[in-house]
Amino acid sequence: MIALGRDFSRVITVKAEKIHLAEIRDFVESIGTELGLGLERIFDLKVAVSEACANVVEHAGCGTTPLEVCADLQSGRLTFTVRDSGSFHPPSPWRDTFNNRGLGLPLMVALMDEVRFMRLPDGGTCVSLSVLLPA
Amino acid sequence: MTRLGSTPLLETQGDIDHSTCRDLETAFAEAINTGARVVLLDLAQVPYVDSGGLSVLFSAARRLRQNGWLGVVGPNPNVRRLLELVGLSADPSFRTFDDRLGAGAALAEETGAR
Repeated sequence: MIALGRDFSRVITVKAEKIHLAEIRDFVESIGTELGLGLERIFDLKVAVSEACANVVEHAGCGTTPLEVCADLQSGRLTFTVRDSGSFHPPSPWRDTFNNRGLGLPLMVALMDEVRFMRLPDGGTCVSLSVLLPA
Repeated sequence: MTRLGSTPLLETQGDIDHSTCRDLETAFAEAINTGARVVLLDLAQVPYVDSGGLSVLFSAARRLRQNGWLGVVGPNPNVRRLLELVGLSADPSFRTFDDRLGAGAALAEETGAR
């Protein structure tokens, strides 16, 4: 059990492939469970992180790109950071109209307390998903 | 695929995510291509559905919209919350049931009214 008052940081790295999404959700769930979060909150985190990763995977191509997910707890704020070496592709309204892709981003925004997208100096993209833990 | 009366009932276990939703899409296509007006999907053994799975449900509901509907059976509270969040629950060609008994009753009621 992680002591709630203590900050921590953990990382999982997988190949950017669809079959690894479940592994990333397990990583999120184990951290949520250790922190004693409610099942609903854990589910929300799994959805948001998995959707951010799915976006990376969708545009990663051959699957040789590494996909890194970091979990950080700092001052009562739990943040999952998803980095990739490609670029984040925001959903296009044109595409959404025709096949409902792009549900991922609205889900992330609806379920998290804060969602941030950052362009990295090396050309990659970073998506960070945060929830504020009850004091 | 099994049936509830004459209605196709799809059964699946485990997460429906980007890596598994194509199988579900194929199963829906097969059920709809048999000419079914209504198709049911049992979600009781599905802990998690992502945007890929939700998209498949949206398109199945859309294909059945003209004179039928898509019914999901037994989604867990978290999955049910996602269905509401993305607006599927508000779609007139989408219905949610607590269990197969409820789905069966809705089908029987429709058959009686027709």
